[in-house]
Amino acid sequence: MKRPIEKGGTVRSAKEASSLFKMGAPMHPIFVHFTIALTASSLVFDALGFFTGRASLTAAGGWTLVGSALMTLVTISTGLTSSTRAPVEEGEARSFLRAHMALGLIFYGLLVAMALWRLSLWQAGTGVSWLYLGALGIVSLVMTVQGYLGGELVYRYGVEVEQAYRELPEREAKSVPPASSSRRAASATVVGKDGGTT
Amino acid sequence: MTGTPFIGLYPFQWIALLVAAITLLLLADALAGHYRSGFAFRSQYTPFMSGGLLIVSAVAAGVAPSAWWTKGALRAAGWLALASGVIGFGFHHYYGIVKKPGGYKWLLHYLMYGAPQLAPLALAATGALALITAQGLAGELSFVGVNMSAALLIFVAIALVGAILQSGILHYRGAFNNPAMYAPFFTPLLAIVACLWMAFAPSRAASLALSTLLWLTFLTGFVGLGMHLRGFGRQMGGLYVAVFNWLEGPPAFAPALFAGFSAVGLVAIYLL
Repeated sequence: MKRPIEKGGTVRSAKEASSLFKMGAPMHPIFVHFTIALTASSLVFDALGFFTGRASLTAAGGWTLVGSALMTLVTISTGLTSSTRAPVEEGEARSFLRAHMALGLIFYGLLVAMALWRLSLWQAGTGVSWLYLGALGIVSLVMTVQGYLGGELVYRYGVEVEQAYRELPEREAKSVPPASSSRRAASATVVGKDGGTT
Repeated sequence: MTGTPFIGLYPFQWIALLVAAITLLLLADALAGHYRSGFAFRSQYTPFMSGGLLIVSAVAAGVAPSAWWTKGALRAAGWLALASGVIGFGFHHYYGIVKKPGGYKWLLHYLMYGAPQLAPLALAATGALALITAQGLAGELSFVGVNMSAALLIFVAIALVGAILQSGILHYRGAFNNPAMYAPFFTPLLAIVACLWMAFAPSRAASLALSTLLWLTFLTGFVGLGMHLRGFGRQMGGLYVAVFNWLEGPPAFAPALFAGFSAVGLVAIYLL
């Protein structure tokens, strides 16, 4: 994929700014943070509520988990959109992506089950138990693995980042056009950094 | 209305919403299959009409069960879905096996590569579930002489048998290339036994076994969804050529039927 080329100069008006607004930024990396934050908060609130006996903390644990179950629907749908933009060629990135996709829906199944469990506890007017906290801990662990796989995709393989967006000006100035870079690579095979031939 | 409400909705309202969700998933897979075959027959549009009506009437019955028309509409849509599912089964059988070169002599081949034989019966099953639901929303305590809870559990057992048979033949076609492809033959199969145990000889042990197995079957549905999505990714081009691989890859939403049917069972044991 080619990097977008900058056209025109400095943006001077709102009209020019609005013409640059493409809504093309990946949404999935934004929404994953809601899932991660809400699920982790739920575990923390519930654990604190369980140990301190404060009802407000337990209530916060319940609401954040329900919020996570709802927000994760958006996370999954934006993830599916993002996955259609991943590199087409087979390789490590695609393997990571496949594992990330499979685990994402498994995590969602666990999250829905936990949310239903939490709602039934709320309806029965009972607090959380050790068993519930343990189960939510396991779900959070699955979420951590899932987040790690997603992180690998972005930070190691640059999915939806590398070559899709314009580089920062200082990096752009240092970058070398592909033709001259291949010529330099060819010359580097002849003359090494220390001056010796290789 | 019968049963214990859960976050404001009574059991049959939940089941009505589940009918709508299951039908939506079925129609999504039917769209992929019928679009792939190019809608060669006008009758291939039938499930979208009967299923569409079922979704609308089930949502209406779930949201406004006291409205005078919703239960009648759900009953009518249920019968229509039941009939179109059974007729669809005949069509799939005739055009998918009988009329194909080789016919029954190539039975296994057409079971694997022809029109999915049991898929239309899933629509018939949701139609039957709509009929039970309409009866339950009307405050009836039994369905064809069987109490509502047992009727729902028998329904879940029959629906899971169909889902397991269809996934069995398709996973066999896929040569069970991943150990997860055996998942439909583990907890869902045990859940069928537990459903029948609970329906005919209810006890505390049966209830505990059934609830555990139905929760595991519910999760199996999500595992299947994830693995089928992974299956798209393994096709040439993966999700980069999403529509093509949606049509040619594993049925996208079929595993969710396990989650949907087990959810019906969970409503029956916890709320009825």
